[in-house]
Amino acid sequence: MDLLWQGLVNGILLGGLYSLMALGLALVWGVLNIVNLAHGAFIMLGGYACYYMFSGLGIDPFVALPATMAALFVFGYLLQRHLINLVIRAPMFNTLLLTFGIDVVLTYSAQIAFSADFRTINPSYAGAHFTWLGATIPLVRLIACAIAIALTLLLWLFLARTRLGRAIRATAQNLVAARLYGVEPRSIYALTFGIGAALAGGAGALYGVVSQLNPYIGVSLTAKSFVIAIIGGLESPLGVIAGGLILGLVESMTSLYVGATYTDVASFGILVLVLVVRPTGLFGRTT
Amino acid sequence: MKRPLARAGLAAALVVLAGVPWIASPSIVQFGINMLLLAALAQGWNIIGGYTGYASFGNSVFYGLGSYGTAIAMLRWHLPFGIGLALGTVVAVVFAALFGRAILRLRGHYFAICTLGLAEVMTAIVSNLEITGRNTGLVLPLLRGDVLFYELSLALVVVATLIVAWIAHSRFGYGLIAIRENEEAAAAMGVDTTRYKVLAFSLSAAISALAGGIHAYWITFIDPVSAFDIGLNVKMIIVTVFGGPGSILGPVLGAFVLSGISEVLSTEISTVAGLFFGAVIVVAVVFMPRGVADLIRRFDKYRWRYFAENVRANRL
Repeated sequence: MDLLWQGLVNGILLGGLYSLMALGLALVWGVLNIVNLAHGAFIMLGGYACYYMFSGLGIDPFVALPATMAALFVFGYLLQRHLINLVIRAPMFNTLLLTFGIDVVLTYSAQIAFSADFRTINPSYAGAHFTWLGATIPLVRLIACAIAIALTLLLWLFLARTRLGRAIRATAQNLVAARLYGVEPRSIYALTFGIGAALAGGAGALYGVVSQLNPYIGVSLTAKSFVIAIIGGLESPLGVIAGGLILGLVESMTSLYVGATYTDVASFGILVLVLVVRPTGLFGRTT
Repeated sequence: MKRPLARAGLAAALVVLAGVPWIASPSIVQFGINMLLLAALAQGWNIIGGYTGYASFGNSVFYGLGSYGTAIAMLRWHLPFGIGLALGTVVAVVFAALFGRAILRLRGHYFAICTLGLAEVMTAIVSNLEITGRNTGLVLPLLRGDVLFYELSLALVVVATLIVAWIAHSRFGYGLIAIRENEEAAAAMGVDTTRYKVLAFSLSAAISALAGGIHAYWITFIDPVSAFDIGLNVKMIIVTVFGGPGSILGPVLGAFVLSGISEVLSTEISTVAGLFFGAVIVVAVVFMPRGVADLIRRFDKYRWRYFAENVRANRL
């Protein structure tokens, strides 16, 4: 029973971080209709940005988080504005391949720049934990989960309440109509992609605190983000939280009752299963 | 088009390629085997990706099944290579036919990522099974015969290209192209889309599995990560898209050109070769979205405007 309770807590803590990881991917996918295969590489870059601010300049990782996100925002904005916008009207296959190319370039650049060694952002309080109702809760994981959920809610508020957020949602619903109402798609696309990259950067910084970084984590994180986006749907950030928590719990339960080496089978098995049963995703649109 | 001349040229090129192992150094023959296997894989991907328009990331699964099928048959059951290869291929084709029925209903991104998920699942399953040697992989009996493997790979490329050439001019191929261009319209015209797609997927699987089996016996060692490597699937896509998806010789051309360039680079540093591959996809997608084959066809008419025209047609 205690084991089950601990597993549930672990799953929820992991799931919070997962939802932040998937948030940027789901946003870009929903608005731009691009599945950004370089999303995981953005997470990886965010992790390294935070790592170097921490190890080089001695800045606390949670303080470095906003700076990491800002840097990734600029990177994502420029990338969309000057590169991805060039192929946006090409068949879907071309955008998929382009982002794959970007992923490969970023991964190998990271290997050259940062080496292939494992890195962990390791602040003095990294080992701190407390016990709650019999479950051990590592402090950094709790903070990471809380920040992840706070950022998700912030995005939800931003999309629902601000003028820019409404412009982004309008673009997602109908590009032509949004254009007629004075929305400039080139900059809206770049802004949205920038926000997606910033969220990935934030997720990467938190990932670096609770786990290990290396240049190759991107592909599996992209795939995980995709699983979550499929389960949670693209309509609302709140669905993404649900997707993240589901995946976190499934992985935690699998590693508890089946074996840690089977977690990938479980998560990707769910993906394949969901897609086979509901070809447009569990709560997905039917277009 | 000057068909007889083109055919004579192709035949001459084939004879030269077949003669390479008798004149070239061992390292060139080894490079040749890798290049030919990549060309075969690209040609296999061309059937499902280029002609049918389904961006499969699952071809590395078939490659892996071919590798493991061959290895298990030879090691565990002591069967000869030929039978092992056939067995691995059958396994991959059955797998493609079974899963194809389910996942070929998915469109666009969903299909692509579902096959990506399939590859991850297979890697994880194989890493956990006793018969596949878990994480440590399997070691096959050693056979010193680079020439044999070279000619086998070349034969596979020729067979794959002949299959694609047949597809390009057959009722089956027209059906696939119709599916790629507009699946609803194809169905309305009487194309049995599910059967066509599953058949294309299975053909693609057979070619990938054969390449996997040949590679496994040649390299004599396989493990889950290298056998089901997504990176290999990406390479197939890159060389196909670079060469010209949906053309007969494009994928082979793409594999030869890109292997050549990256071989020259990788003698320096392998990460640079990887970086180069990524940069090539980016540039190729932006400036020549229809590949070298299309570039060769239309460059005469457009000259340097060709690249600008492509960008203008697709930008926001």
